[in-house]
Amino acid sequence: MFNPLNKRIPREFKANAGRYISTFILLFITIIVGAGALVVMDSIKLMLDDMEEANILEDGYWETKYETSKDAVKKIEKRGITVCENFYVTDDDFDGNAKFYVFNERTDIDLPIAYDGRLPESGSDDEIALDRLFAEGRNISIGDIIDVNGKELKVVGTVALPDYTALFLDNQDMMMNTKDFGVSIVSAEAFEDLDGQNLTYRYSYRFNERDKTDKEKSDEAEEMIKILTKSGADVQEFLTEDANQSISYLKGDMGHDGPMIKVFVYILVTIISFIFAVLTANTIEQESSIIGTLMAMGYMKSEVIFHYLLPTIIIALLGSAAGNGFGYTVMTDAFKTVYYGSYSLPPMKPVFNIEAFILTTVIPVVIMIAVNYIMLADKLSLSPLKFLRKDLKKKHQKKAVKLPAFSFLTRFRIRVMLQNKGSFIVLFLGIFFSSFLLMFGIGLNPLMDHYVEVADDTLPYEYMYMLKKPVNKHGGEKLYMTTLVSEYYLTGKEVDVTFYGVDTGKTDSKFKDSGAPDSGSEIAITDSMAKKFKVGVGDTLRFRDKNTDEEYELTVVAVNGYTNNLGAYMDRDKLNRLLDNKHGEYNAYVSDEKMNLDEDDIAKFIKRSDVVGSAKQMMQTFGAIIMAFNVFSVFAYIVIMYLLTKVVIDKNALYISFMKVFGYDSREIRKLYLDASAIVTVVSLIVCIPLEVKTFKVAMVYFSSMIEGYMEFYLPPIVYVKIVAMGLICYFLINAMHLIRIKRIPMSEALKNRD
Amino acid sequence: MDIRIKDLHKFYGDSSNRVEVLKGVNCEVLDGEICVLLGPSGSGKSTLLNIIGGIEPATSGSVDIGNDSTEHMNARQLTLYRRNHLGFVFQFYNLIPNLTVKENIEVSAYLSKNPLDINELLKTLGLYEHRDKLPSQLSGGQQQRCAIGRALIKNPSLLLCDEPTGALDYKTSKEILVLIESINRKYKNTIIIVTHNDAIKNMANRVLKMRDGLIVSDTVNEIPMNAADIEW
Repeated sequence: MFNPLNKRIPREFKANAGRYISTFILLFITIIVGAGALVVMDSIKLMLDDMEEANILEDGYWETKYETSKDAVKKIEKRGITVCENFYVTDDDFDGNAKFYVFNERTDIDLPIAYDGRLPESGSDDEIALDRLFAEGRNISIGDIIDVNGKELKVVGTVALPDYTALFLDNQDMMMNTKDFGVSIVSAEAFEDLDGQNLTYRYSYRFNERDKTDKEKSDEAEEMIKILTKSGADVQEFLTEDANQSISYLKGDMGHDGPMIKVFVYILVTIISFIFAVLTANTIEQESSIIGTLMAMGYMKSEVIFHYLLPTIIIALLGSAAGNGFGYTVMTDAFKTVYYGSYSLPPMKPVFNIEAFILTTVIPVVIMIAVNYIMLADKLSLSPLKFLRKDLKKKHQKKAVKLPAFSFLTRFRIRVMLQNKGSFIVLFLGIFFSSFLLMFGIGLNPLMDHYVEVADDTLPYEYMYMLKKPVNKHGGEKLYMTTLVSEYYLTGKEVDVTFYGVDTGKTDSKFKDSGAPDSGSEIAITDSMAKKFKVGVGDTLRFRDKNTDEEYELTVVAVNGYTNNLGAYMDRDKLNRLLDNKHGEYNAYVSDEKMNLDEDDIAKFIKRSDVVGSAKQMMQTFGAIIMAFNVFSVFAYIVIMYLLTKVVIDKNALYISFMKVFGYDSREIRKLYLDASAIVTVVSLIVCIPLEVKTFKVAMVYFSSMIEGYMEFYLPPIVYVKIVAMGLICYFLINAMHLIRIKRIPMSEALKNRD
Repeated sequence: MDIRIKDLHKFYGDSSNRVEVLKGVNCEVLDGEICVLLGPSGSGKSTLLNIIGGIEPATSGSVDIGNDSTEHMNARQLTLYRRNHLGFVFQFYNLIPNLTVKENIEVSAYLSKNPLDINELLKTLGLYEHRDKLPSQLSGGQQQRCAIGRALIKNPSLLLCDEPTGALDYKTSKEILVLIESINRKYKNTIIIVTHNDAIKNMANRVLKMRDGLIVSDTVNEIPMNAADIEW
C-alpha cells in the first residue's frame, strides 16, 4: 500500500514553494556548472588525447640560430626519434601590432585541423589558414586578403594547430595572448616565397617508441641537447612537450579546473544540504506532536526519517537530473565558449562520461541525503513522548545562559541568536562562500589591472630585442639573457627563471634599480620571484642549466621592485663567467626607442605592450565568467539569507503573535526578532572579509603554482565595500519581505495551537 | 485482551532531584472493558497510560498485555507492539494539517494488515461527508472524531485515550463519549480513558482512582451508565 503520508509531499512543496524552488534553482545551477564544465573538459581531454596520435603531436622542439646540421639531425634520428623541419616565418608587425608566425606546410608532424573553411591547397602559393582565435580577435574572415611581410595571402580557413592549443608567444609568458599573437599555415610553395625574411629554424621531434616514461623522455632530451651542442648548433630554445606551455597549458588548465569545479560543486552542495538540514530540523520542531503521534501509532523511526527525508531526496534528484540534463545539452555550448574563447581547438563533440555523471549526480545526491539523514537520525532518536510534549532537547539546559546587564532589547536579541544558532552558523558559512565567489567576481578585474599597472610601472624599458648573434649597434643597452630552472617548493617542478646579465658599472643603465650585484655568486631577484619562491635577502637558491645540466648556487642579496616575471639579475661579466661564456657576450638589447636592427639578426622582439597586453587579453576571456560568478553569488546570497532568516520567524510565529497580543507593534517586533538576523548578517558579512582575503591569498598561491609567473594578491578596499554593500542590499530586500510576513501573523495564532 | 500491571515504579530526574511518580502500581483491566483512570494533576495517571502505551519506559515492574510483556521490549519491539495492539487518542488531536480527514485515518490504516473498512468507520464517526476536508476546516469535536478514527482504523485491541474531551465543550464532549462507548460495543476493544472529569467514571466498567503515584481505589461498575445519560 502506498504510504498515505507521502500525499503530504506535493502539498508540502506547494505550501513552501519559495523554499523548494529557490533551493532547487541553487542546486540546479550548481549541477549545471559542474556537469557542463566536466563534460566539456572531458570531451576536450578526449579530443586532445585523440589529437596526440591522429595529428602526430610533437614530443618537443628546438630552435637554432642557423639551420641544424644534417649530421646532428641524423644522429638524433638514429636514437629512434623522428625529426621534422617545422620552420616558420615571423611577421613582427602583422596587422599593425601583432606578432604572427607562418608555418610551412606540415605533412609528418603537428598536422593542422581545419575549424572553418579548409587548409591551403598544396601547390597554391597565395593561400593561408589562420588560427581561429587569432582570426576572431583580429576580425579576419575567410576570403579576406592579408599581408604577411609584404606578401598578400588569401584566407581560406581557420585552423587549430596541435602544437598551439594555447597561444603563448613566449614560453615564459604568464598568460596567453590570442589577440596580439597568432599562428598560421601555408603551403610549401607559399612558404618558399616568404622564407627569405625572418625565418626561424624550428625542428620538431617525436619519439618512435610511444610508451616512453617521463624519465626516458627527459634523458633523451638531454642527449639531443648534447648532440646539438657538440655539432656546434647554437640552440636558441629547446622545449619538451611538457615544458611547452603552448601544448601543456591547456592540459594543465583542465587538470586544475576539474578539481576546482568539483570542489565548487561539493562546497555548494554541502551548504545546500545544511540549509535543508536547518529547514527540516525546524519542520521537526514545528511538527513534533505529529511525529510523536506517528511514533505512538507504531511508525518506525526509519519510516519517519524517510518521510522527512523525502523532500530532500526529491529536490536532490530533480536538481541533479535537471542540472545534468541541461549541463549535457543546452549548457555545453556555453561552457565550450569558456575554453574555445581562450584556446585554439578543433570542433568539439560532447561525449557522455560516466565519471562526470557520478560526480555531478550521484555524489551530490549522496551528500545531501547523508547530511540530512544524519541530522534526522539524531533528531528523531528521542522517545515518542518527548515529541508529544515538544520536549526536543536531548540535554536539558539547567540554567538559562547568563547574560550581562544589557538592555532588555539586547538580551532578547541575544536569546534569539542563541535559539537559532544552528541556522546562523549555516548562514555564516553561506555568506562566507557567496561573498568569496563575489570577491572573485568583483576582485578579478582590479587584481588584473593592478598586475598590468605594476608590471607596466616597473618595466625599465620600452623595447627588447633578443638577438640571433651579437650585433654592435648604438642606442640600446646590451645585456645577456638566459633561462635557468629552479625547483618550485610547492609543486617540486622546475620552473624557468630568466637571468639578466646587466652592466652594473653603467650609471645610466636601465637596470640600475635592479640591485644586480657585482659578484659571481650573488643575485638580485624580482619581487615576483621573491614572493613566488618565498625567499628574501640572504637565502640561497639552486639553479640548473637545462642545456648543460650545470648547477649553480646563488645567494639573494637584493629584491628589486620588478614584477613582470621570475627574474634574477647579475653583473653581465659575472654571469658570462658563471656560464663559461666569452667575455663581453650579449644576446639582447633593451631601449626606450626603436632600434635600427636588421630583421635577420632579431630572434625575438618584445614591446612593453606585449607584457601588459596579454593580461588585458585574459580579462576579455574572463568577462563572461566573472558576470556569471557575480549573478550566481547574488542569487546564492538571496536564497541562503532568505531561507535561514525565515526560520527565525517560522520558529517564533506563535511568540510573535503573543507579542502582538501584548501590544507590541510590527516595528517593535522587528526589533526583537528580525534585528537579531540583521546583526548576524552584517557581522558575518564583515567578519567573513578577512577570512575570504586569507582564502583568496591561499587560492592565489595555488594559482601561482599552476603558472610560470607570479601574480600578487591585490584587492582595493572598494571591493570589500562592494561585497558588504551587495550583501546588505540583498538582506534588506529580504528583511522587507520578512516584515510583510510578520504583519500577516494573526493575533489569533496565540489563541490556538497551544498544545 | 487483559492487561495486568505489576509493581510499576517510575522515577524522574537524577539522584539529587529524583521524583517517584509511580510508587508500585498494581492493577488489572479485563478484555473489552472501558476503564476510566481518575485522579488529580500529578497523581501519575498520564504516566501510567504512557507506560501502558509503550511510549515511556517504566523504571521497574511490568505491563502484560495478553501474552506480551513490555518489560524487556527494545525500542523496535515496542514500536511493533504499538503498531499491532494500540490506538492512541490525545487531548489535542495531533492531526496532520495538510492531509484530509480520510488521509489522516489512512496514515494509521497503512500500519495494519487488517484495517477496518474506512468508509464504514467514517460513517460511524459521522465524518463521511467531511472526509475530504482538511483538519483546519473541522470543528474541535470533528477533529477529535477524526483522531479517534485514526486510532481505531487499525482495530486495536487496546485504545488509550488521554483526556479525550479535555479540549471540548460539554455537548461535543458528550458526543465523543457516546462515540467511544459505541466503538467499544461494536469493536469490543479494551479502552482506558484518562480524565479529570469525575462524571465520566459512570460510563466505565472499571474505575481506577490514583493519588500520589498509587492506585487508591479499583472499582468495578456492574451496570455502567450510558454515555449519553451522564451529566456534569
